[in-house]
Amino acid sequence: MKEPLILDIKGNSLDDGPGIRSVVFFKGCPLSCMWCHNPESKRRELELSYDPKDCVHCDTCMEICPEKALSPDNPFFIDREKCALCMQCIEACPSGALSRVGKVMEIDAIVREVARDKPFFKTSGGGVTLSGGEPTLSMDYLSRLVQAFREQEIHVLVETCGMFRMEDFLEKIYRHIDAIYMDIKIMDKADHQEYCGTSNEVILKNFKALNKLYQEGGVEILPRTPLIPGITDSDENMRAVVAFLQECGVKKADVLPYHPLWQEKNFKIGVKDSRGDAPAMQSFLDKNRLQACREAFLAAGIQLG
Amino acid sequence: MLFQFQSNGSSSKPGFSFTNLLIKNLLRLMALNFNLRPGLNKYLKSVDGWMNFSANLRTENNSLNASIVFKDGKAFVPSIAPDPCDISLIFRDDKTVRKLLGSTPTEQIFMLLKSELRTQGNQTYLNLLFFYLNLLLKKKAYKLLEKEKQASAKQAKELVPDSKPELSQALLDRKNHRIKGKKVDPGVRFLDDPYLSQYSLSDFPRLAKFLDIHFTQKGEICPERPKILTDWFKEHGFEKDASGNDWIPELRQGLAFKHLMENRKPIIRKDDLLAGTSTTKEVGVIVYPDAHGAMLWGELYTVPHRSLNPYDVSEDTVRLLHHEVFPYFIHRNFKEWVRYNYQSPLCQAIDERYAVYFIFKQAALSHTIPDFPKILSMGASGVIAEIKGKLSREGLSEREKGLLEGMIHSMEGMIVYSKKLSAQAAEEARRETDPKRKAELETIAQACAQVIENPARNLDEAVNAVWITWVGMHMENTNAGLSMGRLDQWLQPYYEADLEKISDEKERKAYIKHAIELVGCLFMRCTDHLPLTPDLANWYFGGSSSDQAITLGGVTPEGEDAVNDMTYIFLKVTEMLGIRDPNVNARYNREKNSDAYLKRLCEVNLITAATPSLHSDQAVIESLKEFNYAQEDLNNWSATGCVEPTLSGRHIGHTNFQMMNMVAALEMALNNGLHPLMNWRLGPETGEPAQGAFKTFDDFFEAFTEQFAFLIDQSVEYNNLMGLAHQAIRPTPFLSSLIDDCISTATDVTHGGARYNSSGAACIGLADVTDSLMAIKKLVYDDKSVSFADLKKAVADNFQSEPALHALITHKVPLFGSGSEEAVEMANRVAKFAHDHYGTHTNYRGGKYTVGFWSMSNHVIYGTLSGALPSGKLEGKPFTPGLTPQPIASPNLLDNIRDVARLSPKYITNNIAFNVKIVPGPNDTHEQTVDNMFSYVKTYFDLGGMQMQLNAVTSETLKDAMANPENYRNLLVRISGYNAYFITLNRDMQLELIERAQYGL
Repeated sequence: MKEPLILDIKGNSLDDGPGIRSVVFFKGCPLSCMWCHNPESKRRELELSYDPKDCVHCDTCMEICPEKALSPDNPFFIDREKCALCMQCIEACPSGALSRVGKVMEIDAIVREVARDKPFFKTSGGGVTLSGGEPTLSMDYLSRLVQAFREQEIHVLVETCGMFRMEDFLEKIYRHIDAIYMDIKIMDKADHQEYCGTSNEVILKNFKALNKLYQEGGVEILPRTPLIPGITDSDENMRAVVAFLQECGVKKADVLPYHPLWQEKNFKIGVKDSRGDAPAMQSFLDKNRLQACREAFLAAGIQLG
Repeated sequence: MLFQFQSNGSSSKPGFSFTNLLIKNLLRLMALNFNLRPGLNKYLKSVDGWMNFSANLRTENNSLNASIVFKDGKAFVPSIAPDPCDISLIFRDDKTVRKLLGSTPTEQIFMLLKSELRTQGNQTYLNLLFFYLNLLLKKKAYKLLEKEKQASAKQAKELVPDSKPELSQALLDRKNHRIKGKKVDPGVRFLDDPYLSQYSLSDFPRLAKFLDIHFTQKGEICPERPKILTDWFKEHGFEKDASGNDWIPELRQGLAFKHLMENRKPIIRKDDLLAGTSTTKEVGVIVYPDAHGAMLWGELYTVPHRSLNPYDVSEDTVRLLHHEVFPYFIHRNFKEWVRYNYQSPLCQAIDERYAVYFIFKQAALSHTIPDFPKILSMGASGVIAEIKGKLSREGLSEREKGLLEGMIHSMEGMIVYSKKLSAQAAEEARRETDPKRKAELETIAQACAQVIENPARNLDEAVNAVWITWVGMHMENTNAGLSMGRLDQWLQPYYEADLEKISDEKERKAYIKHAIELVGCLFMRCTDHLPLTPDLANWYFGGSSSDQAITLGGVTPEGEDAVNDMTYIFLKVTEMLGIRDPNVNARYNREKNSDAYLKRLCEVNLITAATPSLHSDQAVIESLKEFNYAQEDLNNWSATGCVEPTLSGRHIGHTNFQMMNMVAALEMALNNGLHPLMNWRLGPETGEPAQGAFKTFDDFFEAFTEQFAFLIDQSVEYNNLMGLAHQAIRPTPFLSSLIDDCISTATDVTHGGARYNSSGAACIGLADVTDSLMAIKKLVYDDKSVSFADLKKAVADNFQSEPALHALITHKVPLFGSGSEEAVEMANRVAKFAHDHYGTHTNYRGGKYTVGFWSMSNHVIYGTLSGALPSGKLEGKPFTPGLTPQPIASPNLLDNIRDVARLSPKYITNNIAFNVKIVPGPNDTHEQTVDNMFSYVKTYFDLGGMQMQLNAVTSETLKDAMANPENYRNLLVRISGYNAYFITLNRDMQLELIERAQYGL
């Protein structure tokens, strides 16, 4: 299997696990949640991004493009049918408005970059978080990466959608990591299929298995539920998620309130999803709704992080 | 070469323009008014006679050349100007003259700052001339000031139309979350919860009341000090004594000081636990006419009406200063002494063009830490005995005897002052009917009977002695950066001795509460005076108080953990009051101090939003290694003024001798020695970059260093001349008696009597210079993607026609703070040059020059007075504060922290100011936020960082404060080294703070 592309390594994150963390974002995901906060991480392939905010309209890129794929007349500036991803425009763009989405990185290079922050990990109890996209899409690559972090004595947390082959995960990843964050998004199978593009059976099964191992002294796992207005934050889904977690004996979970910032990211990679036009999808999650969702967990005796 | 402007194309004949006619007529009108109206004419006279002087107004090409002469009570406009006039005001051209006539006071200031006009001659006369103009035109001036004020408030409202009370409320709410501490520090003896989390301001109504006065009471100019001193000088002579012999300046100053202290009004502020005030006003502006005091002469009528930091001034004070005080000091001040004795040297002319450097000695030589332990443990009588011992030795010169006698006189003056305070307290106690207050007054009376004359015996006496000493220091020396040092160390013994006498648990608790209140009173006493700030200085040092630094924590002289009960008591007071001054600095020693202590520093910083400033002991001590100071003295360092290190009680480091605009050197290197704003070919001709003068980047770097060296040499020369002015005009025997080894060597501090001597520079714009050099190196020399000529053109054009080049610089050049090795190397290269070149000089006291990278608030004004830069900075925009990276360098705070930490302390002998604006996450608890702050700060210090200052406030809140100042009277912000109230800042400084990068927690 081809090596995965890395989207970005973001330092100084305070919201992706304990302490100060570096987050490695993988490109490519088996799910395709419509609200995905990192839509540029959905596809596995290299992409070209155009951010109109940064553009200074010097037109250098338009002159340089061999395919003549760039024009303000295109709805997303880039005609992706024509674009051959030669990336010459990126080199020429002075402002970074055009940028490459995804790059091949050696394991060593990733570890080197993350390890620069070790002094911060030490004082804060932080480490590295592997996120995406979905880091488990390339199990072998991920396996080598987590082992390399282990050698550096860096705390490793994997953020996953839960859609993977359990045998592989246990064999290649599990022994080398310190914590797992897994999303439990929608309990209804059909809804999950509709909004996330796959069924949730494997995910729930995998969660149960990992949670059981945790209860037996294994790696800590924290279930997290994104609160998407009108989709995951319904009373019904909340009840179902909470019931499932209770059944698994979960004591601690987390919720992730919706924010609409993904929409402009979608534009940058030339994607338009009309489901994002709904008024509720244009603003941050309502405070009262957030409180109600939190209550559903707390009332069931589940702590929120 | 001096004062040569490039031709500006105007070709009017000398003295024949319309403007010439207009100005001459206006001057005639002015003369007429002063001649015919007795109410005005009387102002031409001082108590010592008519004030005779001539003032000349002209343009560079003489199209205007008009003068007014004041002589023996008459004013007239001569047909031919006297040559030279006492003061000349030189305009760039006719247009500028007419612009001045229609401009508001602030616009006038900026005309001066931007070199549209300049002065030549004695500036005190200029201030007098402006005083006369304001006598005629003050009503118009008030109107203009009012208009300016309204326009600025309107602009702010337009920026943020809605008030957001929840934002100001959130800041207030921070005070309600307090972590309980654990007793882990070995030096903490009596505090079970060293964080003192049980207390809040509401437990101390006295302090709450003082705080309210602080935020509501407008300052008032106090004539007491200048009046008493001027009378003494007039009676006893200044240059020569009554019998016509040359004065020994130290003896003269000692006698004058004694007279001042004997004749000052002994005041005990209502309800205070400490006796003594630095002025007779509730909040007073102290006037030092021998320094920069007369700069206010021209503004006496407008100062209550100006928008920024107005003061009141009574009609009596105006009359007194105008007729009795200022005239006596027209030539007897530091600046004019240098001008007269050294014939207007170039180094002074550069300073007076405002865009390149500012030499602080025109106002003060007071950045130091007196030996408080000495006065506390020996009392003034003990110090006098030591001086007398020295005096009894044989072989002393007259000069040495004069100094020692001057010291004795000043100590005697202090004793008289404290005795008068004691009597005053006793008298007030007798009249007091409230038994609680009566007892307090009796304690004060007792304390002041003991100190300052004798050693302090308990904490009440010790804190009173500290304050009385402090009042004395400010009566002798300008209130600018004089600092208090390690009060936690020096007061702890008294606190411990007191507590050891108490065995009852309840009484101990009450005592601790009393100790907090006492320290709180000391903090509030320190707000009783303001620096005298002419309106122009509001643009240089906006919102600054006198910056009385207090230093906490660190290690003892022996190198052991110094954190003690008083450290935490001072921190509690800092937290509860949240005031700008005293400027609290905390030392953190990585090997000795606890995490709990560092965490508490972060918590106080979060609650107050801006203080204390945090220092790594290791880095500061490492930076001072080259000077061969004794280790126990290094261990005993304190911050001075803003952040700069002084070895307590034995070091005159004048750590802010200068503010240096390094970008000016860069601009001169880009323009073959010409400074563009001043249009003055000032520096050496190092080559024209656009004409290929520089084959390699190193060639250009050398040109930059040549220009920088030129400016350093000039500024050092001016500093040394100013030092001689201080020796002649204001040596300081009282301060000298509390600085080792002035007594044993019988040498005043101004002559190098301190054991350690140095002068410290603040170099401004390190990030802007580094980034500019990086852009030139990468684009012109490494990638060759743009020619030097094109880059220069784009810079000259403020990147208007080259937005792509601007984007290229800001996106593709590795900047300082981005995590680029090369950019850090470049910053170190610049710092090393500064360090080495200042290091080639010796100051007039035989000390070395040190170099720091912080900026007070000068990064804003120097930015305004600079053009666009190769770094991408646009014309008129501020530089970054201190050496803080540009916000665009990296979105990742850790890159900033790592890069700043990798600057070599070897080149930073006068500290730095690294600003970090952090924003607590909306869902984070107080503890989480404190933990995050702790992690950043601790890692920064682990990586070798020297200093860090945190502003814990969002841009959104700052904007709300700009538009709704009434909700934010106590919003504290760190500028670059000092604290200020946001709402007292000028608009440019407010915007700079808003535009700083902010990092979420």
